[in-house]
Amino acid sequence: MSKQSMRYPSKDQAPVRIRLVAIMAAFTLFLSTIEYLIPKPVPFMRIGLANLPLMIALGLFTYKEYALLVLLKFLGQQLVTGTIFSYVAVFSFGGTLASALTMFVLYHGLKQHVGMVGIAIAGAMASNIVQLILSRFILFGESAWLIAPPFLTMGLVTALLLGLFANTFIKTSKWYQSRSVS
Amino acid sequence: MKSIRWGDFVILVIALAIVVGSYFTYGEVGGKPMVHVKVGTQTWVYDLSVDRNFIVEGPIGSTEIEIHDGQVHVVDSDCKNKVCVSSGWKHAIGDWIICLPNNVFIMIEGVEKQDEQAVDAISF
Repeated sequence: MSKQSMRYPSKDQAPVRIRLVAIMAAFTLFLSTIEYLIPKPVPFMRIGLANLPLMIALGLFTYKEYALLVLLKFLGQQLVTGTIFSYVAVFSFGGTLASALTMFVLYHGLKQHVGMVGIAIAGAMASNIVQLILSRFILFGESAWLIAPPFLTMGLVTALLLGLFANTFIKTSKWYQSRSVS
Repeated sequence: MKSIRWGDFVILVIALAIVVGSYFTYGEVGGKPMVHVKVGTQTWVYDLSVDRNFIVEGPIGSTEIEIHDGQVHVVDSDCKNKVCVSSGWKHAIGDWIICLPNNVFIMIEGVEKQDEQAVDAISF
């Protein structure tokens, strides 16, 4: 630590912060891999494990750091699934952007009234709805609405579970509490 | 520090409403009987419950089709035998009218309700 401050005397916090972003991005990459390992009946049914670090990071980062994490999460996930140069990347980007934006706004706007469960559900819904709209206009046309019910149901259930997990994590993790800005 | 707040329940209720609402799209896509009018490679789809009179152009001329009171028939066609005209009114899912000379194919499509399913034919 002292060595760090010597090397960056004026803004010794900066490398620590960027390292924290890197750690969270590494978590998204790891969880994307785990997600990819889990067999699913249809490929677009996702659990959204990689969104867990995005939820936890809400209380840790400024909007710039958060945006960087979101971008790294998107790139990492697409690298793992090997779909970075296909139309899937468009869907993933749209979904990730929508959910990150929703979660960030909810967290910072309604912090007193909304916990992680609500934030997770809102994020999942935003992501799924944006992906449905994209698939309506890019891929399937009107029949895209046929996949909506199972898609949204799955998203709601997994978001609920991830939200509960995030709640517990934030409440009990000493690592989180020592870094949390709020 | 942070746990479940009332906002979580509000969001949960809204999300549940969206999810439940999404299941109604199934009824709308599959349930209503629709008139599929196929001319050559093109297909037009009309609602059987909306009265309408329209003309389609085939290779030998025009075919006038009318939808009225949940039934469809061919009013007139530029073909010789007028088989399509004499087919009369059709209303059941699966019914069809065809005009081979003018390459017009009219079919009522939709999902049959359980109690509407009937035997096609009986032979003794």
